[in-house]
Amino acid sequence: MTSDDKPIGRVTRCSTRGFVGAVRLPEPEWPVFGTFCRAEAQQGHSQVIGLIYDLSIEDDELARQLAATESLSAEQLADSQVNRQVPVEYRALAVGYRNGERFVQSLPPQPPLTLAPIHRLSDADVRKFTAKLDFLKLVVAVQEIPVDDLLAAALQTAAATRPESERRAYLVEAAAECARLVGRDLTRLESLVRSLRP
Amino acid sequence: MGLNLPQILGQLEKMGAALAEQQAALRRLLPAARKAFEHAAGLTYEELDAQVKRAGDRYRGARPTEEPLLAVFEPPPLDAGLVVAGADGSQIYPDRHASALYFAIQVGGLAMEIGSGLPPQVRTQSELYYQQEDLHDQEGHPVGNAMINGRRDAQEMEALADWAEAFAGRPFVALLDNGLLLWFALQVREQNQKDVDLILQAYLGNLDRLRDSGGCVAGFIDRPRSADVLALAHLATMPPSGVSDQALRANPFRALTDRALFEELLRPGQRSACFIDSSPLNEDFRKKRHEVLFFYLKTDSRGTIARVEVPAWVAADTALLGRVHAAILDQCRSTGGFPYVLVRAHELAVITNQDREQLEGLIQQRLLESGLGARPSQKATTKRWTRSRRKHQL
Repeated sequence: MTSDDKPIGRVTRCSTRGFVGAVRLPEPEWPVFGTFCRAEAQQGHSQVIGLIYDLSIEDDELARQLAATESLSAEQLADSQVNRQVPVEYRALAVGYRNGERFVQSLPPQPPLTLAPIHRLSDADVRKFTAKLDFLKLVVAVQEIPVDDLLAAALQTAAATRPESERRAYLVEAAAECARLVGRDLTRLESLVRSLRP
Repeated sequence: MGLNLPQILGQLEKMGAALAEQQAALRRLLPAARKAFEHAAGLTYEELDAQVKRAGDRYRGARPTEEPLLAVFEPPPLDAGLVVAGADGSQIYPDRHASALYFAIQVGGLAMEIGSGLPPQVRTQSELYYQQEDLHDQEGHPVGNAMINGRRDAQEMEALADWAEAFAGRPFVALLDNGLLLWFALQVREQNQKDVDLILQAYLGNLDRLRDSGGCVAGFIDRPRSADVLALAHLATMPPSGVSDQALRANPFRALTDRALFEELLRPGQRSACFIDSSPLNEDFRKKRHEVLFFYLKTDSRGTIARVEVPAWVAADTALLGRVHAAILDQCRSTGGFPYVLVRAHELAVITNQDREQLEGLIQQRLLESGLGARPSQKATTKRWTRSRRKHQL
């Protein structure tokens, strides 16, 4: 099983605007902010493409107890950081869907199935999906999330799936699209463009 | 509906008052109990042993070993290269109201190389049982919860034996959450002798593996309620000719616990003398050279007393017994009196209500895919109707 095949959680709550995934994984395997992911919908006939914009980790009494103790051993610290399957909940914004081999960058017709496994989108699929930039307007339209940071993280992720010789051109194109979407706020645009610098 | 708190609240006040009076009465009893124990400590081992023999099968208290009753022991230093492992198990019992009849056992464990700085090895072993031979005992009756508990306990011991063999050649201590004796055997042996014996033999076989690998094993009981040592103290107060059923039943210290006694006698880190458990089940263990002994241990400065059970081959070896003593104290340092490996083993083993519901959902899905009906009973369905509520939201 490749790292893309291994699920990074299952859908708990969902709507056509996005979904929430939950998983217990040791720290090195947590999904990261700005990760593209997919979850099955429509009885497996399509996949919702999500962009992770929020991760929260629940602490528990053991973590608090160990944090406060003076007697924490190196093995217990390693156990907490490497082994403990901490409950991670993350939220993904729906930025499109796949129908067969075709990617569509608009809200999906149906949300994912409850308990559907969530997988990272492979590098090849990220590259294919992000060849068009229409999904950016879905991100910009949402008010309750860290839009600019998410745009920057998603576009850097997309650039990283391309050969090095193509990355700059891609980010320049993406910056131009961002300028079209947020151009009225020059301060914001400047900050966004800075974060897209290769 | 939930707990009828208005009805309960009125009773809580009476409960508080009654418990306070009970505690006061027990505190008044403790000096006499301590005196009886000190009197018992003044008898020789032979005198005590003879008194226990006079009491015969009627006696269910502790039996003495050759360690003086009032002896206390400091922990030795930790062995270099010590490995400490813990295992715990949980289960889903069969539910005839579920979509399918099955049960599940999950055993979690952790093995920690002390002083290495390495993350411990972890394991979680989960098994679903749905075949007819698992769901019925050898008499053809539906398998009961006690038998499932027994299978779980045997699998916990198997996990520890696996690790003992993997770490053979290194000082190794295996810990179980709870005692070493398989109590389920006492509960159901009469009705299910063959099944119980199978599980018991598997369990004892894994104790053999632990012993043969050079490791040691202990059962850790937090907040023990036993009064076995106090029963011995009471027995010691009887004149030899006065040992009778009636005299044994008239134990004035029955409401006290050994824990209360040893809270006074031990300082933090110290263990008591070893005693032998006189449960009839210990006879099966004794035949396989795994007779269970126990001692009390004050694990921390707050006065927490644990009962620690070890097999005879650990108790008889000063180095192994000291290793268990030191390992438990080391494990309790960061967790306020309960071994860290057992905290984590429980976490690795636990099956939550959410897990159960998720499993039930997946089973229903698989049954539908196999063309089978997948419906819980109507009773289970109506219970769900009344379980959760939603608020209307715009």
